Amino acid sequence: MESAGVMNKTTIELLARRAGLDKALEEFPEDVAAAAEQASGAVERMTAPTDPRAEPWPPMRAGRQPGGGL
Amino acid sequence: MTDLHWLTAADAARAVAARELSPVELMNALLGRVARLDPQLNVFIRLDAEAATAAARAAEAEAIAGRLRGPLHGVPVGIKDIIDVAGLPTTCHSKILIDNIATADAVCVSRLRGAGAIVLGKLSTHEFAIGGPSLDLPWPPARNPWNWEHHPGGSSSGSGAGVAAGLFPIALGSDTGGSVRNPASACGIVGLKPTYGLVSRRGVFPLSFTLDHVGPMTRTVADNALMLDVIAGHDSLDPGSAAARAGQYGSRLQRGVRGMRIGFVRHFHETDLPAHPEVAAALETVVGTLQGLGADIREVRLPSLGEFAAVNRIILQSEAWVIHGPWLRERPGDYGRLARRRLLPGAFLSARDYVQAARRRLQMIGEVEAALRDVDALICASSMDPPSRIEEAEETERTYPRQGRTPFNVTGHPALAMMAGLSRGGLPLSVQFVGRYFDEATLFQIAREWERAAGTDQKHPP
Repeated sequence: MESAGVMNKTTIELLARRAGLDKALEEFPEDVAAAAEQASGAVERMTAPTDPRAEPWPPMRAGRQPGGGL
Repeated sequence: MTDLHWLTAADAARAVAARELSPVELMNALLGRVARLDPQLNVFIRLDAEAATAAARAAEAEAIAGRLRGPLHGVPVGIKDIIDVAGLPTTCHSKILIDNIATADAVCVSRLRGAGAIVLGKLSTHEFAIGGPSLDLPWPPARNPWNWEHHPGGSSSGSGAGVAAGLFPIALGSDTGGSVRNPASACGIVGLKPTYGLVSRRGVFPLSFTLDHVGPMTRTVADNALMLDVIAGHDSLDPGSAAARAGQYGSRLQRGVRGMRIGFVRHFHETDLPAHPEVAAALETVVGTLQGLGADIREVRLPSLGEFAAVNRIILQSEAWVIHGPWLRERPGDYGRLARRRLLPGAFLSARDYVQAARRRLQMIGEVEAALRDVDALICASSMDPPSRIEEAEETERTYPRQGRTPFNVTGHPALAMMAGLSRGGLPLSVQFVGRYFDEATLFQIAREWERAAGTDQKHPP
């Protein structure tokens, strides 16, 4: 899956079935469609970093005990 | 003595320690109030009156013998129903977990009990701390004690409503996108989202691993600091727990704000999500008051609320999907409509979306940190509107995301919401203070000065 861009009905159904949501698709098709729209909207509103060196947070911290915190 | 139901936790504990108040007398007064008001407020999912009364008797005997467990000896506390209390259900206000009985106390509950607090019961929430006020769940939604027709905020709805209504002086909530601060704002109390990792999340049902926080909800700033003193601290079994030293959060409550530099994030409520005029006016009053008391207020800019909300949503829904995916596949009908709609988007977010959001998150942390290098704390809007009418689903849906809280779940900075005044309709308006990592004491210092100046701790629902 590349990214939650704008999705048409076929794409939504394909992704929902791939995620195992056949039952939800059958019983709550409007909720599934609304969810896909929400996901698309959130991705569109984010300014994704373009610098290849931009790191994600939180980082991997090898050798640190769990609980090292921020 | 003041009405027992309006006693602060600190005053109650002091009176119990001085043998001026019996924990049994206090418990009986609160249980009587619960019996009168909860049929309208729907604060409790499970009231544990029998165990609470037994614990109050034990606390009384201990106090008489001069054995005090800690700073909350004999003080009743309410627990949001996503937090484990041994022997009681943790339902997350959902049919999905209706039969789930906790086998052990969450760490935060255990710390409260260790300090002498008495668990009164489990409190209503939005389903899994993400739905909304829903009528299609096994329990009804909590209502706002200032006006029962209004939403008390969420997701820690029962915690906010119960503290404001005088059913208990303190409560635990959780905050992943604002869920401690939203009900604190709507109910006119004090709610703190501590620095990420300061309070253990072990024994709390997760919504989003890197955004979840547990926080204290109280009627006064001093009680909030006291409660944080008790629940903060390192937990080696919580992978997100911080190694920071905790305690003495109320040590600067009386110092005032003279000479403090406070950044006003005006664009949050003026251009990003234009606030209701009464909210905007209340914020100006808070800023003007603190300025009059000697604070140096200067304007600061952060990334937009729209972008913070997007990053919060992508991370939250991606992480929540791994928790709820199996149930959403097999039992989608056992969720309420609102939670189902808010949890399903994770199925449509890719690994790329999640990692990009995590990368943007680090940049946003840097931008907030840069702002906090020049000031001691920030002030900004919490809710952009007075509480909505609970029966008007569209109005609640419209106002729910109009808030300035999610930025600090994304960045992990401590943030405190409290009453900024009352609307013409008699509903609480709110303000938010944000601090440097692990500098909750400064937030309490500023919040106490506003509370003292405005008398917000003396304002209770009619």
